Amino acid sequence: MTPSYLLRRLFYGLLLMLGVVVLNFLLIRLAPGDPAVVIAGEMGGADEALLAAIRADYGLDKPVLTQLGIYIGNVLQGDLGQSFFFNQPVATLIGDRIGPTILLVLCAQVLSILLGVFLGVIAARKPNGVLSGFVSVFATIGYAVPVFWTGIMLIILFASVFPIFPVEGMQSVRLRDAGFMIRALDVAHHLVLPAFTLALIYLAQYARLSRASMLEVLGSDYIRTARAKGASERSVLFKHALRNASLPILTVAGLQFGNLISGALLVETVFNWPGMGRLAFDSILRRDYPTIMGVLFFASAMVVVANLLTDLSYRLADPRLRGKS
Amino acid sequence: MSALLQIEDLRVTFNTRYGPVTALDSVSLSVNAGETLGVVGESGCGKSITALSVMGLIPSPPGKIAGGAIRLAGEDLTQASEARMRALRGAEMAMIFQEPMTSLNPVFTVGDQIAEAIMLHQKVSADQAFRDAVALLDRVGIPSPDRRARDYPHQLSGGMRQRVMIAMAVSCRPKVLIADEPTTALDVTVQAQIFDLLNEIQRDFGAAIILITHDMGAISEMADRVAVMYAGRVIEQGRADDVLDLPQHPYTRGLISCIPALGKGEDTLREIPGVVPPLHMLGAGCAFADRCAYRAPRCDSEKPQLQAHGHHPVACHAVEEGRI
Repeated sequence: MTPSYLLRRLFYGLLLMLGVVVLNFLLIRLAPGDPAVVIAGEMGGADEALLAAIRADYGLDKPVLTQLGIYIGNVLQGDLGQSFFFNQPVATLIGDRIGPTILLVLCAQVLSILLGVFLGVIAARKPNGVLSGFVSVFATIGYAVPVFWTGIMLIILFASVFPIFPVEGMQSVRLRDAGFMIRALDVAHHLVLPAFTLALIYLAQYARLSRASMLEVLGSDYIRTARAKGASERSVLFKHALRNASLPILTVAGLQFGNLISGALLVETVFNWPGMGRLAFDSILRRDYPTIMGVLFFASAMVVVANLLTDLSYRLADPRLRGKS
Repeated sequence: MSALLQIEDLRVTFNTRYGPVTALDSVSLSVNAGETLGVVGESGCGKSITALSVMGLIPSPPGKIAGGAIRLAGEDLTQASEARMRALRGAEMAMIFQEPMTSLNPVFTVGDQIAEAIMLHQKVSADQAFRDAVALLDRVGIPSPDRRARDYPHQLSGGMRQRVMIAMAVSCRPKVLIADEPTTALDVTVQAQIFDLLNEIQRDFGAAIILITHDMGAISEMADRVAVMYAGRVIEQGRADDVLDLPQHPYTRGLISCIPALGKGEDTLREIPGVVPPLHMLGAGCAFADRCAYRAPRCDSEKPQLQAHGHHPVACHAVEEGRI
């Protein structure tokens, strides 16, 4: 893996981000609705003079392409604009909320990969066994059920039937001033249901994928070689086979990251998690253009970074890809 | 004295969609320390199944050892626990496979793969095992073994990979080395080098070698004794010279006459007409009858048994009756 390869990938990533900014900007302008009307509505009334003043104030009276140019110029300088609705810099709004979102998304990703791959490997050991059938059924259900429904069902289950996990928010009010460890445990406790809800769909997919991938790898000659040298079944499964079977799983994990972020927005809304999901939801309802674009910008940045990391880890896992670009 | 490895009346069945079929039918073979037993026959005649049975690597299900015994230095492997088999595999008996291109794990360096085999059976540190692996690579004739040990399989040629497989197989000085068509995937000059290497290894380590092949030339070069298999049975067995010079079974004769001879002006390759019958379609008689020029009514109704005749045992009614 050469530095020049890394640089090139980074350059492509930045180019991609620029494309995303332009597309976001134009797509949002295409959507119906006038932010000036919404802002005026918040202020308690709208006559034409007030609307015109608001448009002039927010730069909405200029041609769209001019607005785009100004926006890109600002983004390049790190300025994502001022929220129409919250009346705060968008960067601040997102900065306050991106931490919880990243925490949720990463936990869900790790949970779904670890559990899913584990289930898949176990299922592949006996492809006609009970567990294998269970994984297939579970995967189909997990894939078919909408994430908000799972969330609501879990809320019902854990709010009234087994009240052992909190179903709302990220921190307990009475623990706000406790020590760091207590607060960390409190957040982890709050994280269980949203992370599990979000992980569930992807967990099922990873289980299915790794089952199929393992079955294919377990039939290959080098697995027979490993057995012939006296390797234990556990070593054959988790060392010799899984490392090879993990290549398609890695690919999908990278691609799924984007879906995971959009899933996170739904889960945050259901569990009232103080992340970017709520912010996206509110800002879309209020035609808060700068905030929507800021949220989209960060979400795409996370996807681009995730894809870059996937590509790099792919090369780490498969020596045949090293030294090629 | 009994042989180092003795296979007695081995019967292996597979469950298929045609019902259970017999892949090996009362196969008896033996090989002594320092000796090379050649096992020949066309594809699908049970050579590889025999090898995998010895290693305890028959895919089960669908495969199953349904009878007989495999004795390694007196111990019956068909009765051994899986843990015991793991301890034996790679240590007391080792196997070299047909496909060097796919038999090595693509995501580990070849040095690590050899070192793993060493560490599975010997109490040595990882560093020591890796140094031993480098020494083995040197022993099997790989140039600059220090560097090569850190290479991945895709960075080596087919012949080099097969040398790596051999290094891995002999890493714990096994008593029995099974080579399943070790040169099929390699070009001819490399084939000769690999056979030379196997001969040297045998001299150094004193291992018994079972060489599985369909190449009669390889048999004449390598084997002390030879067993000819057809449709899951041994049909002729004896000293390699005897079987090659005075083949008795019509199938063995066919195999030998198929060896192309240089300089005799032959411009077509000879072949035995027909194919090995699928195992689920074997009847009551001799499995070779359909392809045999000496077929008689008895051949269709009664399986010929392996019995001493002339120099060495053969299973053929025509030979027994003196019709050949």
